[in-house]
Amino acid sequence: MTKTDGITESLGRFLDGSAATHIAKKKRRMIILFGLAALLITVSIIVGLFVGPTNYRDVDIFETRLPRLLAAIGVGIGLSVAGAAYQAVIRNPLVDPYIMGVSSGAGTLAIAVISFNFTFFGLLSIHSPYTIAVAAIFGGLLAFGCTMALTKKAGGTTNAYVLSGVIVGLIFGAIQTILLVFSGDNVSNSLLWLFGSFKDVTWTHVPFIIIPTAVIAVIILRYSKELNLILLGEDQATQMGLNVKRFNALILIIASILTAFCVAFVGIIGFVGLVVPHLCRMIFGGDHRLVLPASIAMGGFLMVMADLLARMILIGQELPVGAITTLIGVPVFAYLLMKRGKMYNG
Amino acid sequence: MDDVPLLEIRHLEKVYDNGFHADKDISFSIPSGKLVGLIGPNGCGKTTMMRCINKMHEPTSGDILIDGKSVLPMTPAQVARLVSNVPAEMTASFGLTVFETVMLGRYPYLQNMWWETEEDETLVIKTLEKFGVAHLQDRPLNMLSSGERQRVLIAKAYVQQPRLMLVDEPTSHLDMKYKLDVMEYLKAMVKQDMTILVAEHDISLMARYCDLCIIMKKGELVVVGDPKKVITEKLIEDVYEVSSSVGLDRDGELYILPKKYIGSDAF
Repeated sequence: MTKTDGITESLGRFLDGSAATHIAKKKRRMIILFGLAALLITVSIIVGLFVGPTNYRDVDIFETRLPRLLAAIGVGIGLSVAGAAYQAVIRNPLVDPYIMGVSSGAGTLAIAVISFNFTFFGLLSIHSPYTIAVAAIFGGLLAFGCTMALTKKAGGTTNAYVLSGVIVGLIFGAIQTILLVFSGDNVSNSLLWLFGSFKDVTWTHVPFIIIPTAVIAVIILRYSKELNLILLGEDQATQMGLNVKRFNALILIIASILTAFCVAFVGIIGFVGLVVPHLCRMIFGGDHRLVLPASIAMGGFLMVMADLLARMILIGQELPVGAITTLIGVPVFAYLLMKRGKMYNG
Repeated sequence: MDDVPLLEIRHLEKVYDNGFHADKDISFSIPSGKLVGLIGPNGCGKTTMMRCINKMHEPTSGDILIDGKSVLPMTPAQVARLVSNVPAEMTASFGLTVFETVMLGRYPYLQNMWWETEEDETLVIKTLEKFGVAHLQDRPLNMLSSGERQRVLIAKAYVQQPRLMLVDEPTSHLDMKYKLDVMEYLKAMVKQDMTILVAEHDISLMARYCDLCIIMKKGELVVVGDPKKVITEKLIEDVYEVSSSVGLDRDGELYILPKKYIGSDAF
């Protein structure tokens, strides 16, 4: 293998057209990306609002499908942007909110709440959707804190991040299993949350997904150049004028908050944060000034499509969207690994 | 202007938090437009000194001046426009091409612009050609040989347009051909307005290419001078505790042949 794979090459020829310089090519790719984003958003809206198991004339689109569409777009964008940011800062193409343990932590506390009607010592109501959300956000950040503490003790290397994340994820996973065993009648609710679903999203949830996603995505987008710089390693980035410690902490914390907000209301939806940034790198190249906007467009769109499949595959029965994304994400990721794995080794 | 040295180090001291005294009262100055070799055994304080110069470490005391101005009060971005750095080894990265990597050398000049300018691109392309890696510009950085990657990293440090380039053990992973290659590129790069400071273990290579050499031992400065004058069998014995044969070959080039370790714990 001397160059990149064939798809990237032919896509590159198409994207670059007659542009002569590297910068002209990137600008051209940016314009194509904006066009693509507009197309994907239009398709998402049409699909999200008008396609479904029941005819759209028979459902209250504004009350049911619109919040669900907005939540799917928001969560798709949030997980993809968080994944791209984690991958750059940790300089490991294999990390995503799952690997970092954040999703497991969020899941564990959410299940604790669902299974045992835990109300944060009476501060929140059992029936409030916020109880689960608060638990998930708290659990996500707790797991993130554990991963970071362990990473620091283990020397702070790229591998230490991944191994610490896996360890923290395993522990929270084990706690989850124990909680499920004791959860009695609530076990099906818990399992449903673990696989992720947009079924129960209402307008009350939407701002809690859309606002953090918009704010944090914009912040991360603003640091695109710095995310490129950090790929050269911490020493090089420091020497080029970036305060690496502060930058890494900022990006990892906001990416974890974003992940926690995303999984809080809809449960765990795997592989989006891992696969979407890679697909975008394959199409548009590794520059984060293109990867991040592309992840926003593709992440939102693919999540709407996954949700469409979840609603439509079986009539009268919704499938968990997390199972769909994993089912599609794993083969795509395996393909990327085989085709481009060499590019990701040192 | 001419009498202001490019780099001046005054009484540099660096004590790490664990108490290790890495650099002890180091003072020297070097002029502009020289290739300078930094020589000494492992742990003699070379890397620490280089990391103090580019503000990766804060010196415990002393001062570092570039063109007569202290770098200590400068912001990292200001220092990045004066000093660039070529690491001994590139940590694993992913996703960037050779062109994109070299273009990152322009980061300290970008400020709030989203894209680099045409001038930046012209400079990068010219530099890639100069270092013989222009044909690799669209390749992912991870798929180059170590010799090619080293040249890309030097190119990146070059487009940073520094006054001083710090190069840490550039040839440690390279075979003979690439070693000479890298030194030729460094030699060709030294212009009137740039000085290169290279830390390197291969003393013969340093003696052959460098205009000046700085020799360190156990955190102290031993001598600064023309390598052909200062490198002697006595000096090698003193610094490395190794007996050696130092002489001139048929072309009049200095060579150093290490023979036997004669330190106190030798067997």
